[in-house]
Amino acid sequence: MGGKDNVSRQFTYPLKTTHRPLPICKTLKKKSKIATKSVTFTKQQYTKMPTETPRKQFQSPKKPKQSPNNVKSQSSTPSIHLSPQTPQLPLRRSSRRSLQPFTSETVDEMLDLSTPRKALEDLDGIGKCSGNNRKGSSVRTPRAPKCKFNEEDREIPEMGKVGEGNGVVEDAFCPVSPEALESKKTKKGLSEEGSVKMGKSPKCKLNEDLGKLGEGNGDVVLPEKRKKGLRNEEGVKTRKSLRCKLSEEEREIPDLGKLGEATFFPVSPQALESKKRKKGEEKRAVTRAMATRSLKKVNKEEKKGRKRVYYKKVVYDGGEFEVGDDVYVKRREDASSDDEVPEMEECRVCFKVGRGVMIECDDCLGGFHLKCLTPPLKEVPDGDWVCGFCQARKLGKDVEFPKPPEGKKRVRTLREKLLASDLWAARIESLWKEVDGSYWFRGRWYIIPEETASGRQPHNLKRELYRTNDFADIEMESIIRHCNVMSPKEYAKANDQGDDVFLCEYEYDIQWHSFKRLAEIDNDEDGECANGDEDWNSCKEDDSGTDEDMEYEEENERNVHARPSTTHQLAANSRKGRFFGIQKVGTKMIPEHVRCHKQTELERAKATLLLATLPKSLPCRNKEMEEITTFVKGAICDDQCLGRCLYIHGVPGTGKTMSVLAVMRNIKSEVDAGSIRPYCFVEVNGLKLAAPENIYTVIYEALTGHRVSWKKALQLLNERFSDGKKISKGDDRPCILLIDELDLLVTRNQSVLYNILDWPTKPHSKLIVIGIANTMDLPEKLLPRISSRMGIQRLCFGPYNYQQLQEIISSRLKGIDAFEKQAVEFASRKVAAISGDARRALEICRRAAEIADYNMKNQISSVNSSRVKDVVTMADVDAAIQEMFQAPHVQVMKSCSKLSKIFLTAMVYELYKTGMGETTFEKLAMTFSCLCTSNGEAFPGWDTLLKVGCKLGECRIILCEAGDRHMVQKLQLNFPSDDVAFALKDSKDLPWLAKYL
Amino acid sequence: MGREKEKEKLSEKALNLLRSRLSDPNFIFRPLPDSPDSNYSKLKFIISTSVTEACNNSILLLGPRGSGKVAVLELVLSDLLQQYPEAISVIRLNGLLHSDDNCALKEIARQLCMEHQLLFSKVASFDDNSQFMIAMLRECGLAHKTIIFVLDEFDFFAQGKQRLLYSLLDAMQSVNSQAVVIGVSCRLDVDQLLEKRVRSRFSHRKLLFLSPSKEDTERFIEHILSLPMDSSLPHNYAAEFNGRLKKLLSDERFKELIDTYLSFNFTIGHLVRFLFQAVSYMDLNAGFLSLGNFKTALSSNQRQLKLECIRDCSVLELYMMVCMKRLEVKEQASYNFYSVMTEYKSIHDSFQTSDYYAANVCLRAFEHLLQCQLISFIDNKGHNQSVEFRPVKLLISSAELHQGLKSYQQCPAILLKLMDR
Repeated sequence: MGGKDNVSRQFTYPLKTTHRPLPICKTLKKKSKIATKSVTFTKQQYTKMPTETPRKQFQSPKKPKQSPNNVKSQSSTPSIHLSPQTPQLPLRRSSRRSLQPFTSETVDEMLDLSTPRKALEDLDGIGKCSGNNRKGSSVRTPRAPKCKFNEEDREIPEMGKVGEGNGVVEDAFCPVSPEALESKKTKKGLSEEGSVKMGKSPKCKLNEDLGKLGEGNGDVVLPEKRKKGLRNEEGVKTRKSLRCKLSEEEREIPDLGKLGEATFFPVSPQALESKKRKKGEEKRAVTRAMATRSLKKVNKEEKKGRKRVYYKKVVYDGGEFEVGDDVYVKRREDASSDDEVPEMEECRVCFKVGRGVMIECDDCLGGFHLKCLTPPLKEVPDGDWVCGFCQARKLGKDVEFPKPPEGKKRVRTLREKLLASDLWAARIESLWKEVDGSYWFRGRWYIIPEETASGRQPHNLKRELYRTNDFADIEMESIIRHCNVMSPKEYAKANDQGDDVFLCEYEYDIQWHSFKRLAEIDNDEDGECANGDEDWNSCKEDDSGTDEDMEYEEENERNVHARPSTTHQLAANSRKGRFFGIQKVGTKMIPEHVRCHKQTELERAKATLLLATLPKSLPCRNKEMEEITTFVKGAICDDQCLGRCLYIHGVPGTGKTMSVLAVMRNIKSEVDAGSIRPYCFVEVNGLKLAAPENIYTVIYEALTGHRVSWKKALQLLNERFSDGKKISKGDDRPCILLIDELDLLVTRNQSVLYNILDWPTKPHSKLIVIGIANTMDLPEKLLPRISSRMGIQRLCFGPYNYQQLQEIISSRLKGIDAFEKQAVEFASRKVAAISGDARRALEICRRAAEIADYNMKNQISSVNSSRVKDVVTMADVDAAIQEMFQAPHVQVMKSCSKLSKIFLTAMVYELYKTGMGETTFEKLAMTFSCLCTSNGEAFPGWDTLLKVGCKLGECRIILCEAGDRHMVQKLQLNFPSDDVAFALKDSKDLPWLAKYL
Repeated sequence: MGREKEKEKLSEKALNLLRSRLSDPNFIFRPLPDSPDSNYSKLKFIISTSVTEACNNSILLLGPRGSGKVAVLELVLSDLLQQYPEAISVIRLNGLLHSDDNCALKEIARQLCMEHQLLFSKVASFDDNSQFMIAMLRECGLAHKTIIFVLDEFDFFAQGKQRLLYSLLDAMQSVNSQAVVIGVSCRLDVDQLLEKRVRSRFSHRKLLFLSPSKEDTERFIEHILSLPMDSSLPHNYAAEFNGRLKKLLSDERFKELIDTYLSFNFTIGHLVRFLFQAVSYMDLNAGFLSLGNFKTALSSNQRQLKLECIRDCSVLELYMMVCMKRLEVKEQASYNFYSVMTEYKSIHDSFQTSDYYAANVCLRAFEHLLQCQLISFIDNKGHNQSVEFRPVKLLISSAELHQGLKSYQQCPAILLKLMDR
């Protein structure tokens, strides 16, 4: 009905999205073909079993995917469409135990069943296999259970045996068919030939060669293993995880080989499934540290030169995968691989893909052709739309969705599978090629709300996922295709991304079961960190020693906080602990008011006026920013940047720091684009340093990451900048040093400033200093040798005038109809007249909005809607200005006690009489008693009077000395006498005061 | 006898109830909040919006001591903690204890650790602590948790470099954190104390706590002192107690009494202290509050301290004071021990009194007067000078001195005469 080419579907929660067939889908087709080819073995295997059985049976031994320390057996509400995934969750451990006998039983049974005999024979006959095509999952298997057994071993020694047995079973299971091997090989060839596009090209080639060498080496190493009786290990490519696992098991179970033979090849569907399940868990349990550990083992075995090759981008099976991409990951071998992945969703009514416009139900996410609806819709409606079935269900009726025509099974899309937890989604954190040539990536799991400890919460959206802090190494094989997991902002904009769009706003901590919002900058940092770690680890060489392994393991476990160990806990607030345990902070439940509350205009205005919200554009500072840009660019591009130093001054709140940071962001994006040489940027705030000397430590730490004392840091920095000694290769980059609140660095002999400003003048230092402070004449106040170094290039940020303030405010308020135009102008004029401080102007407007909001809410609660429009008026702004600028002393004077009022009057009277600002208590008391006697008041006594004076002094209405001075206490009014006169002129209880004012 | 005992028991119970009410700020300030203009609802609105709308705020609560700033704040906080049990953590600092930036940051880190069950290290440096605080602000912001910093005696934080306030407020404006800084101070000019950079970052919400109106005070007294009808106290006793109280409250003399009391310090805290005293004077046998109780309380409040000091002085000390007075009358602005001694000698010469002592004895008396603070040095200069050379000043007015001499039992008649002359 709509576009003919664009098969568009609309869904509207909370925004509209149109569906177009993804370009990815085409490549996917190719991929799936390859996949089917390579899967042949598994398929064969499965076709022998009744095809329908899997689903039900598979689910039976399902266990929750939960982290080890989840003790609560919390049953999350099983949602309608999936239930398989969220059954009652028993204790994890107990479930495991109960399962183990089960698996071995089924193993025996299934041996009798002889289902995949043929495959087994094949395998036996050839005797060599190279891991199945599902390496991604199957390889993980052996590794992960081990860690669990370890846990159990520690507690219940008897369990060890069973565990071992189990481990072997799984082990035996890994190698698969010869076909798989072949297909794998061809694929490997393919990918090696043409697919490695990016990456550090020269190095990468070298490494590839090494990788090949490694394969050779692997064969040499392997026979040792074979001796131990692990036939299945023959010809296995140097799979690090498997290896490490094996080596560990060799240590632990000497007679593993026998066991392995005894229970070889259990291939019953149940057993398979249960394993898959477990794999699932283990996958979850595989943590970063374990991955690195196994990596290290590889290093150990292969002695030297074996390195993983890391890529930024890999073309695999025709799909391009980059670090930071989100992908679907296969969960079960059977279901995901042999279903054809539908490109588009079918209509829920006619079960055809068709070309008509489809609309998405906001409740069940089902797609409907517009024409298939009753009554048919002409066009996609605005706002939320819920299909008739869901509406009926909401009304409490029993609804049956139309059944698909005979012989046609409804094909579920990947999205549906993911939300039913038949699939997984992960984010690629890093990509690498193993020494054996297989491609791996480190994935960070996403989970669906049902899998969290708190289950699906009412405010969860249908397409919501949580990012976990759980990583796993996954082989690229198991990737199905891309999906798009977006932040709420991107999600709001996305409307043509197809069906695989998900929303992710929170991170879920699997250890503490707590939620945390994702910070926007977070992504890059994390990625870098992970990479850094790995590189570091893989570069690190160490000599092998069995004992050390154990230590290392323990250490890892501690690092990972798998169990909150009490003995090794570090303090949270010391740097050594790297803020240990700060990840504990998180909400157990995402509060509803955050998600469900619909913001009013006023609330939106308040949010956008916050100082913390970064505006989209920075108006009114273009000239200054340009100047900074030219300065920085000139400094960076110049090879001999001598004496580059910029002094920026201006009153607070004029956008100094913000402008510099914005410029740095722009330049950084240019660096990323490749047009400018890379540089390093260090930001220091003088007021946040404990002592001026600490700046050396901070700078040195920012440059190198090491923390030393300031004297040492000064020496090292001197070496680097003055003597031109370069410590590492990154050091020749120019360094930009931004020092905020520069005036705080002024010490008595001003050596800190001198040192810092002296470095840029040295040849080859490549240091650029930008100093920010408030006072215009700071350089002049300093020693001449400093001012000559600093005062050359200056930039002044003048206070904003009212037009600029108005522009700043209205640029933030764009699109929000909450302020009267005059109100904004009033606020900006007022602030411009006083300080020109943009922060103040924003705060006044926010306060005004707050006042308006408060009044409105109160009126709603008391009288029903007397205020017509919720708009911030002049009156609100005026109230805000009053509150902010007016000192409250007049009000306090008006309401203070009777004696205080007389006291103040006496002060003013005394002031008029003598013309002196300062008086003593003795004189004042005399005046006071005169006033009292002539107006019929009782004189309260000197001591009481003294107390009254001290009370006023406490509030700083008057300035006074300490009370023990008594008669000789000096007193002075803190505010103009006119204020007192104004406040007390018409006091009701003491009308005679006016005479003396 | 038995009945009397029972009655005593009853009145004791009532007394305890009243006392516990008077020492419970929650009870005292509970009836005030309802109206939209009250500080309670304003403060609650500001804090709760910053919890729900994830914004940062900084508020100043200003008002004279005893006007219920902290009490109202605590009331609001306890309400909000009930409303959003997980989303709020409160950090309390006091300027008198933590005015030093270093120790304030340490205390913040400690309380944050306590709140989130983290391990705290005492030896962490200033940098560590401030970075920890910033990291925690960020984490809590991401987890939708609001940290409320209550800085009591805020003026002490606004001294020196104000690193703590700067780093706190700077973190609040740049990280996506959710924090509320509440400064409580009795100084009205506290925002002028803030350094310009800090002031620019401060969001300047101000709530002023003023004295209640006269009508409010009356309602307030009734609210506190009337017994509940539905408690364990027998109904007829409570009814009679309340009836008598009503009568007392409408009594003009009572109103006057309260007025005199409040005329010198008109705050709720002050009034509560007075009521506590009055209630404590309650006659257990009668079991009811009477006007007398309040009168005793008032008189015990209005003590003339300097007069009481005179009562303890020796005759020689009286002589010295009279001499000083005479010098003052002669318009000699300042005098020290020696000038007083000459006056003393001249009195002795002209009147031949029996009380003549040597100079060293007089010096002792002089020092004692200094200790009693009946006299004091005029200026703080010249600490190294010996006592007898430093100029002093009599801290008692002639009228008071006269009154004191009159009430002094063995006062020599000559002294009174000298005073008059």
